[in-house]
Amino acid sequence: MAQMVAAPSGAKNGQVFGRGELARRRHDVVVAYLLLAPAVLLVLGVLAYPLGWLVEISLTNSSVLDTSTKLVWLGNYAGFLRDAEFWRASANTLGYLAITAILKMAVGVGIALLLARPFPGRPLVFVATFLPWAYPGGLGAVGWYWFLIPPLHSSYSVFMGDLHLFFDSRLGEGTWGFISLIAFNVWRGGSFVGIFLLAALNGIPEDLFDYATTEVKNAWRKFWMVTVPLLRPFLALATFLSLTGAAVDLGNVYYISGFRNVYPIVWTQAFHLALFGGQWGRAAALSLILMPVLTLILFICYRVFEPLEEDVA
Amino acid sequence: MTAPRWLHPCLRACGLALIAAGSVFPIYMIAIESLKSVHEDVTGNPLIVLHPTLKWYLGLFDPVVWLRGEIAVQSVPFLVWLANTAIVFAGALAITLVTSVMGAYALGRLRPPGWRTWRRALFATYLIPQSLLFLPLYTLVFRLNLDDNLLALILIYPMLAVPFCVWLLSAYYQRLDPEVEESAYIEGASRTTAFLRIILPMSWPTVVAAGVFALGVISSDSIFAAVFLPNQFHQTLAAGLGTMGPSMDNLSVVAAVNLAAGTVVPIAALSAGAYVRGLTAAMVEGA
Repeated sequence: MAQMVAAPSGAKNGQVFGRGELARRRHDVVVAYLLLAPAVLLVLGVLAYPLGWLVEISLTNSSVLDTSTKLVWLGNYAGFLRDAEFWRASANTLGYLAITAILKMAVGVGIALLLARPFPGRPLVFVATFLPWAYPGGLGAVGWYWFLIPPLHSSYSVFMGDLHLFFDSRLGEGTWGFISLIAFNVWRGGSFVGIFLLAALNGIPEDLFDYATTEVKNAWRKFWMVTVPLLRPFLALATFLSLTGAAVDLGNVYYISGFRNVYPIVWTQAFHLALFGGQWGRAAALSLILMPVLTLILFICYRVFEPLEEDVA
Repeated sequence: MTAPRWLHPCLRACGLALIAAGSVFPIYMIAIESLKSVHEDVTGNPLIVLHPTLKWYLGLFDPVVWLRGEIAVQSVPFLVWLANTAIVFAGALAITLVTSVMGAYALGRLRPPGWRTWRRALFATYLIPQSLLFLPLYTLVFRLNLDDNLLALILIYPMLAVPFCVWLLSAYYQRLDPEVEESAYIEGASRTTAFLRIILPMSWPTVVAAGVFALGVISSDSIFAAVFLPNQFHQTLAAGLGTMGPSMDNLSVVAAVNLAAGTVVPIAALSAGAYVRGLTAAMVEGA
């Protein structure tokens, strides 16, 4: 039983499976599918209809203004690819994802390495770093948004307004909004990545690090030659989760800010097109258009966190 | 290359102070603003509160007056929102954990053909941008007659948390030594008995970690809640607070945010250790 791999139920290798074993294996497979069904239904089942609907509507010119909906196939997608505005928004989106991912990794690795060894007061610092992620994101967005872009006059709004002007006047309208989005997401996500990597570090045997320290003297080199390779699968997983988290926070900030197009990012523009422009077909196409890029990132991550999924020999 | 010996601990202390301060500062800002009077909020020192008042907090619990079935006062039905939130979180968490444990045991222990693909397919759903998903989801909820009903959220929220929970728990069950159960089978126990008596108690830390993660993900949603629950009296905190704008002479919202989050902070502080232990258990071979 121990070294049994997922053999196809019709496998005719009597040396490994006796007759009773094979029947039992079949029974196990049936039970496995039954146990898996609820989880699959709740995730893939709930998603199947909306996703199908999105894909279908993205191939039409569906719009509130024009009720005669007809198929335009890939016309919506092609239209965006010819649109300079779209490319700017895509650059913003990928920039936002890349900047937040890099910053969250840096903050997360910092938290994990600093908290890995005991010191007086460690439990307190540990709980403090856990709080940003545990603080409900929907509520946190409320507080952050008012703090960074004060909607009304309060004691700190003068200072914040000056900052706002400083960035926007030098780097263009919306820069401060962009910076505040990044700050909010890094605050939350860095905490998550930090705690996640701390858990991973705790799982790596101490003597591996001690051995490495005798071999590599320079701390910087030790970090790149020892710590990073050991943490690699966990870093990949954390990267993937922080990308998806960045997209979720975007929605929160958008909602909290009263649906103002805070910064031209592909998803918020899609949202805008749908809710305020009524152009459903184009909005659906816009929300799906980055999927190939994200899928590619996911596959790279899968390749990297492969070792996490290895069987225990 | 060789720094003086005393420099390293100092750098480390600075780094720790910076991380702790950066983590707590925004929470602190929200907390003190909720304690300020209108006057102090405008003219006082932004970083400290000199004359704390509980006015805004007490205002949250004012009774909501009904008038011919309509709402007559602009009062926040805070307690209603809090109760709704508790119902939604408890329901969604229970469904998430039960289905995740079942699915994870199937994938990590029974390993039907293609189990790895199943796990990855679940995980891949995190790629789908939620920004527009809620509109088709809303039509789905509408067809099921669940609009303006807390059940809608209870059914939708597991979708956000189950993939990660299944991945985490199945990693744990996959790494668990098969011999753990063998002795129970020799005694004649069924798979179910062995699971409930031996495996589930062993995996408890990881189940707790999955639960903490699920709570974190569920509580970070505001869009689904806002879209599915239009009626003020059926809203959760995240949905309700988003509908309130702050105004010059009313800081109730800040107090509400702070109070709602304040219930989470102690839970977080208590579960942080268990969360890390559970994650580690899932990541390490043989746990």
